[in-house]
Amino acid sequence: MILGIETSCDDTCAAVVTHGGEIRSNVISSQGIHDQYGGVVPEIASRHHLELVDAVVDDALTRAAATLDDVDLIAVTQGPGLVGALLVGIASAKGLAAPRRLPLVPVDHLQGHVAANFLGARPFEPPFLCLVASGGHTFLARVADRDGFSVLGQTLDDAAGEAFDKGARLLGLPFPGGPHIERLALEGDPHAFAFPVAAGVAGLDFSFSGLKTALLYKLREFSEDTAPVADLAASFQHAVVEALALRVERAVGQTGLRRVALGGGVAANTALRERVAGLDDVEVHVPPRELCTDNAAMIAGAGRFRPALAHPDYLALDAYASGSRSPA
Amino acid sequence: MSAILVLDTATAATVAGVVVDGRAFERRHDPLPDERPGHISQILALAEAALADAGIGFGALGRIGVGVGPGSFTGLRIGIATARALAHATGLPLAPVSTLGALAVAAGDEPVLAVLDARRGEAFVARWEGGRPVTPPRAVRADELAVEVVRGSLAVGDGAVRFRAPLESAGATVPVDDSPLHRVGAVGLARLAALRAPVDRDALVPDYVRAPDAKPRSEQR
Ligand SMILES: [Zn+2]
Repeated sequence: MILGIETSCDDTCAAVVTHGGEIRSNVISSQGIHDQYGGVVPEIASRHHLELVDAVVDDALTRAAATLDDVDLIAVTQGPGLVGALLVGIASAKGLAAPRRLPLVPVDHLQGHVAANFLGARPFEPPFLCLVASGGHTFLARVADRDGFSVLGQTLDDAAGEAFDKGARLLGLPFPGGPHIERLALEGDPHAFAFPVAAGVAGLDFSFSGLKTALLYKLREFSEDTAPVADLAASFQHAVVEALALRVERAVGQTGLRRVALGGGVAANTALRERVAGLDDVEVHVPPRELCTDNAAMIAGAGRFRPALAHPDYLALDAYASGSRSPA
Repeated sequence: MSAILVLDTATAATVAGVVVDGRAFERRHDPLPDERPGHISQILALAEAALADAGIGFGALGRIGVGVGPGSFTGLRIGIATARALAHATGLPLAPVSTLGALAVAAGDEPVLAVLDARRGEAFVARWEGGRPVTPPRAVRADELAVEVVRGSLAVGDGAVRFRAPLESAGATVPVDDSPLHRVGAVGLARLAALRAPVDRDALVPDYVRAPDAKPRSEQR
């Protein structure tokens, strides 16, 4: 069995997955504490990872009715992410593996999101297009096989989830912004205001910084108690969804691939799911919510298809903050 | 007396050592002035090298001791996460060790001021005597160091080198810059690790001393 560990952002995650892709356990400990700061505080996230990581690993093993003796491969997120946070997971993974001479497989976090589609009883098989949108990343990839992907486009500034967070803050809504905006948007008109969808950004890259600024300026037209917040939330969400869906549509046109997978926390957004599902003659796959948001099952699952390092080759393994190391 | 594995990553150095039957096998990585600390890439390789030097494996160890600082936040987490995972994988008991204490006890039983460079113009300090702490670890500014000094006593650690002038003018004796007394070492770590009662694995956390810088990532850009 494969033990996966993921600590790239603010969720401390461990999971046990079989070599056949069956999820035996998938434990996610959300730190919560960051809500009061309106965003993830790297030093606080790292402190919490260290406090939680061993208990989360224990919990994942217990829920899988397994012990370390049943584990024959350890998979860990190497990057991209918050380096201080990643290092806690990497140090733990190496410390668990080394005395037992277990092999270790470093996994790219973005590859993990892609590989979430390969888990479970009905895996979504390549080739397909994969849109991953979360608070930490937004990218569109072409997935040709199970061990890699090629990025077709990515955000040039904020991630989609970050755009929701910043929009929510402007609207006086709590962190994380996505779910709160989505709830408020139900009572509003998505066409009340026309916010930019960065249609001018060429190709398949995304940009959300102009959207936040547009919301800020629109809010200034109203006094605090007269602002039509539900209409603003609905129109803002509509713009984020359109920006994402527009690139998916373009990518379908460019590649001819009519199969699309969604991932990342923003994939939980109903308006996005419905918009992409409404694309003509396109098959859409969305993994269960707990596999869309950050989790370790996707890391362990991705580890099945990436080259593992034998002891002692992984002892010097370091984290990386940005980019991706999972070539197609 | 069974063998002890000790680790410390509180300072720029990465230290691993095995002490067995009173003999110490130390492996360390001290980065050059323009080099980054090697904590994540060095700690386990050094630990395994120290075990090999001692001619034993993880199975022959009686416990693991790890420096809890104060010191580099990221460094401490790497050392402690490593130690906790090793304890998990092997079933060995874990003992936390004060990094300042390890410096102090290696310098002797007389009053010693252990001083680590805490950056931002500050130092982490604690006074030890007879193998015990006299003052708890604190972060102090350079101009507050003088009140910590007992005249005529030793001051050791990379912070003692960095703040030599104020320490000496307050009456402390600071060994020459390249003295091994300024470096956290396996002997001091193991001496304290042998005495400390093991703690619950998940309760072993760094002695940060300082509160975190509480700015969200989005505001740090
Ligand atoms: Zn993610």
